[in-house]
Amino acid sequence: MENSFIYQERIDHLRLRKFAQTREKIEVEGLLDEDDYGRVLPPANAWKSIPNHADGSFYGLDGWKTNFCNMMETHPVYVDPKDAFAGRWVYFMSRMRSNKWNPDYPFDHLKPDFEKYDIINGIGDDAHFAPDYQLGLSLGWQGILDKIEHYRKVNTSTEQSEFYDAHEKVVKSIQGWIIRHIDLIETLIAKETDPALKTNLEEMAEANRNIVSAPPKTLREAIQWIIWYHLASRTYNRDGAGGQIDEMLRPFYEKDLAKGRIDREKAVYLLACFMLNDTIYWQLGGPNKDGVDQTSEISFVILDAADKANCSINLTIRVHDGMNQELFDKSLYYLIKNKNAWPRYSGDKALVEGFMKNGFDAQLARQRIAVGCNWMSLPGLEYTMNDLVKVNMAKVFEVAYQEMMSDKSENPSTFKLWGIYILHLKKAVHAAAEGIRHQLKYQKYNEPELILNLLSHGPLERGLDVSDGGAEYYNLAIDGAGLAIVADSFAALEQRIETEQKTSWKEINYHLEGNFEGMEGERIRLLLKNSQHYGQGNSLGDEWAKKLAEAFTDMVRAESNPGLKHTFIPGFFSWANTIGFGQHVGATPNGRKSKTPISHGANPCPGFSKDGASLALANAIALIQPGFGNTAPMQWELDPTLATHDHAQLIGSIIKTHFEMGGTLINVNIMDKDQILDAHKDPAKYPELVVRVTGFTAYFSMLTPEFRQLVVDRILQS
Amino acid sequence: MNGLITTIQRMSIHDGPGIRSTVFLKGCNMRCAWCHNPETLNSNPELEWIQQKCIGCNSCTEVCPTGAFSSNNGEIQFQKEACTNCFRCLLVCYAEAIGKVGKEMSPEEVFAEVEQDFPFFKNSGGGVTISGGEPMLQPEFTQQTLALFNQAGIHTALDTNLSVSWKQYEKVLPFTDLVLADLKMINDRKHQQWTGKHNSVILENFYKLDSSGIPYMVRIPVIPGVNDNEEEVRALSKFISSLKNMQKLELLPFHSMGSFKYTNLEIKNPMENTEDLSKERLEYVQKILKQ
Repeated sequence: MENSFIYQERIDHLRLRKFAQTREKIEVEGLLDEDDYGRVLPPANAWKSIPNHADGSFYGLDGWKTNFCNMMETHPVYVDPKDAFAGRWVYFMSRMRSNKWNPDYPFDHLKPDFEKYDIINGIGDDAHFAPDYQLGLSLGWQGILDKIEHYRKVNTSTEQSEFYDAHEKVVKSIQGWIIRHIDLIETLIAKETDPALKTNLEEMAEANRNIVSAPPKTLREAIQWIIWYHLASRTYNRDGAGGQIDEMLRPFYEKDLAKGRIDREKAVYLLACFMLNDTIYWQLGGPNKDGVDQTSEISFVILDAADKANCSINLTIRVHDGMNQELFDKSLYYLIKNKNAWPRYSGDKALVEGFMKNGFDAQLARQRIAVGCNWMSLPGLEYTMNDLVKVNMAKVFEVAYQEMMSDKSENPSTFKLWGIYILHLKKAVHAAAEGIRHQLKYQKYNEPELILNLLSHGPLERGLDVSDGGAEYYNLAIDGAGLAIVADSFAALEQRIETEQKTSWKEINYHLEGNFEGMEGERIRLLLKNSQHYGQGNSLGDEWAKKLAEAFTDMVRAESNPGLKHTFIPGFFSWANTIGFGQHVGATPNGRKSKTPISHGANPCPGFSKDGASLALANAIALIQPGFGNTAPMQWELDPTLATHDHAQLIGSIIKTHFEMGGTLINVNIMDKDQILDAHKDPAKYPELVVRVTGFTAYFSMLTPEFRQLVVDRILQS
Repeated sequence: MNGLITTIQRMSIHDGPGIRSTVFLKGCNMRCAWCHNPETLNSNPELEWIQQKCIGCNSCTEVCPTGAFSSNNGEIQFQKEACTNCFRCLLVCYAEAIGKVGKEMSPEEVFAEVEQDFPFFKNSGGGVTISGGEPMLQPEFTQQTLALFNQAGIHTALDTNLSVSWKQYEKVLPFTDLVLADLKMINDRKHQQWTGKHNSVILENFYKLDSSGIPYMVRIPVIPGVNDNEEEVRALSKFISSLKNMQKLELLPFHSMGSFKYTNLEIKNPMENTEDLSKERLEYVQKILKQ
């Protein structure tokens, strides 16, 4: 009981310190439309990058190795005596460049289509696939160095020699960083007067000494090892992927318990500190590769720890037929109790069956777990560019619509428009795929994955960067954005012009060009806006959405090349680009005004359903799943009047049903409408308010006014 | 046989177990002063006007043959008494500020609309509830609709005021898994005063329902100043105690969330100045009922 009180006091201190650090970041760096990450402010005399190119940026093995190692030499050390673990990250190294793509490998030939179709091409983007933490926990830093030495002798070209040199230096610089933390901890031990905190620091120092070279042996050492790797990887290029956290830590926890080194309370404390360290994406529960549920006691300990930390947390519960019902119930309990946008849920059935359709077996498919914003990954086995490449399907619609309207030789129709749209969408998808192929060819000369290579199966073995043939699989993601805008636009045109004849192509075109200005413009806008939407169930909008989803899916799949083992996998997700994408698209026939945001991910447009929105949403999004193992997430703004413990089973049944129907991922917000409006007005009043913006969670107060407005609108219209 | 429906509410969680779709039928034989679904009272389709949605485009005034819609200094006004429910305005109101309350649907159409949510019913132990208004005023439609769902293996519930002839109930109960029976007051004079109807048939039907073998729950609306006093609650308690097979008792505290509907329908709200039942008053009623 006494320990429990001490631990809670420490966790509360750490949480409040995290809030204060978030406030400092807002004051100094301004608002940011992304995850909080747990990063702290850089010092006043911040490290500066060392260019190795005439354009002022740094590229390639040498550029990244030199910069990372140089930065690590002076990277601030961070220890809080109330924390179980040392370390925080401060630098977005990948953002400290004047240019993110090496100009020696131009892609000018792709730019016209990128611009025309408003494609986020992902060239020069990084990470967004998962390392295998199990590998790191079994090898330790010295084991990784030994592996580098071993394969240096196998792969002996000059380029490979530089490849191994770079990785070796990176590992040693991380070790140096850890050693500098040990020095600081020892200094703090000498000064500490509180016996309990002194003991905590001594344990922290010992854990760190034990893992500078050797692999971790205890739960504390294992978590600290994960933290070091993760902080280095975050610093390098913002990598935030985690893994199957419960099964990864279970052996350490069970051994500690058996040897009397730990009790449950202490494990909760350790894991709460871990959750407060960073917002890594972890999966809990779900089947192992043989289909057996992996839930164990530590799965519950992790949930309890998340409850104690209750900050911005990215835990995903894997829902499957053999799921541990108790874990599911407990996750719902915390979802409802804290209303803090965690946990979220992924659907095993559709993800596994879908991924298998790419030609993989069930054992492999089950290992592809929720470790990113909207994405699944095989830890250590694949290079994916998940969540990096997006086609603005609303922009493609605009291109097709304008082409049809400028052709005076034939009367416009939705049939004709669809034909033109399909041609342009195909070109857009191909351009996106070409961008990925460019990245696969040249990324090693731009930004080699020096940290993620270490915990991947293949790069060190083959002497090749993970982007360049080092990975086992290339399951490459292209996401479509703006699905609801396009589906509703087609539906509105068909219903109002062709079926009801309430308006004409000419009239609609006039008002689109004029952005629905004036009373008559507004009247026509409402006619279009009130037509049959995607999400209403058996509506014209649903029909168009399904047709569009199927077409996009086929187009992305068609870019695959089995000979090169390049498998292209479609998804529907917009991440935080809804505002940016919207700014590039004029007024659309679904009644959307020019430059306003496009629809969110796979969701219908806000206000799509008069009642029963939760079921309508779950039905609609299940209907348009691309079905090859990537996601079309359901962003669920759950009404707080429903989100009571009395209704936990009902909420659980909606989650399960969505997944049975083919759903892949559910992100949940439970927001009181009055509170979110007040927080929008004065964000500083609600420093602890966390929202799941898209796949990621963020402190509401960190978001820009535009993004806060977007979240508010979504919640108010749900 | 078609029914007249006001709405099919998806994700209904207050009208029986689990996640349900509640089919609200139009038309009621009572006029409970506290009714929060006034759109279900009238047995005919009627027009509603949602002023907040109106953009003042005057399309309605241009087509209205009786002048029920008019413009006064650019502001649209609606006089219900002048409206003949011709619904011409409905076709030109693109803002959907004008709505038609009441839609004819066949049992098959209702089934088709509700069917999309069957998977949610299965996982939550839910189903379909036929409510109103008073659904037993459309007994054939109610029977046929319940039968369709019953035959599909969907849990069915009937929400009724138990005021029609028991013979009618005998036709629908074979297809009903649960009855949600409303009980307002025991004092007949007050019952007549507040609902417009005597309660003798209702009380008699309660005993018939009790001995029918059909699972049922009793639902009591608790209305401030009407039936929340000790005398009435004790009478209700005594009556409930005499029932042998009631599965559950639910209290429905008065709220004013439906008051906007009176405004939209231009109907006088008899309890427009009544405040929501307080938590303390509800606890007081619960305490007496438990004694």
